[in-house]
Amino acid sequence: MILVFGGAYQGKLDYVRENLVQGREWDCAGGAPDFSADVICGVESFVMDCVDRGTEAADYFREHRDEWIGDKVLILTDASQGVVPVERRLRDFREMNGRLMIYLAGEADKVVRVFCGIGKQVK
Amino acid sequence: MNVFISGGCKNGKSYQAQRIARDQARGGDLYYVATMIPGDDEDLKRIARHLREREGWGFTTLERPVNILELTERPDVNLGGSFLVDSVTAILQNEMFTPEGEMDGEAPERVARDMVRFAEMTGNTVFVSDYIYGDLGMYSESTEEYRCGLAAVDRALAAACDRVIEISYGTEEVWK
Repeated sequence: MILVFGGAYQGKLDYVRENLVQGREWDCAGGAPDFSADVICGVESFVMDCVDRGTEAADYFREHRDEWIGDKVLILTDASQGVVPVERRLRDFREMNGRLMIYLAGEADKVVRVFCGIGKQVK
Repeated sequence: MNVFISGGCKNGKSYQAQRIARDQARGGDLYYVATMIPGDDEDLKRIARHLREREGWGFTTLERPVNILELTERPDVNLGGSFLVDSVTAILQNEMFTPEGEMDGEAPERVARDMVRFAEMTGNTVFVSDYIYGDLGMYSESTEEYRCGLAAVDRALAAACDRVIEISYGTEEVWK
């Protein structure tokens, strides 16, 4: 699995299309991750759903490890910087997103950070 | 060489950018493109501080808060010189929002095109922008549109420039 992360609007999906894989894409803004796709983007939207449902996103990925551990690309927006959000839901989201990133980065064969459209392999 | 520099605020971007621009001038013309339109006392103090910080560096200051390409038409500006544009962030803000708060949604595309053109025409410009994408977001609609627009300008410049550097507290991460 390749984990691609970066801040908002940095061109993560474009980077994947141009440099890693052109395949079927699934955007988690449309629901839970569909691991039959080649590229699963917007994983942070799924994290927000988990916060709202009171479940742990990293646990979900652990349970479905067999489905994504192969040659999938997962794209996640990094939201770890800035001031601690006042709203509880956003605080929970930021922490859960971080926990999931740590887990996925640990499992990934390769981790790429995208900055202004440019990717750099950090693992 | 065209250089794109970004990073968080108060990380030393301007200082590094000044050094690169000065070195690129090799004793020739060295220009600082001042982009801020002062809105209050805080801005005036910031401008005064920036002026003090640039003292003795040999910069000629060119005031250009919008439409950077106007500089290419001025007879007193040597396009073969070394330019520092600080910052892309301010130029987009000035072009995108009027003092009355009206928004021009076409500004990001126009600014990206103008900036890239300016880079092509000079070949020797350091652009400074701000990395404002690492937090949660969830701002107002117009702020979010600005953030998305600045990212588009940044990406166009990063693609066009010879070198892309992220500054973190004075240290450099070279991306290109």
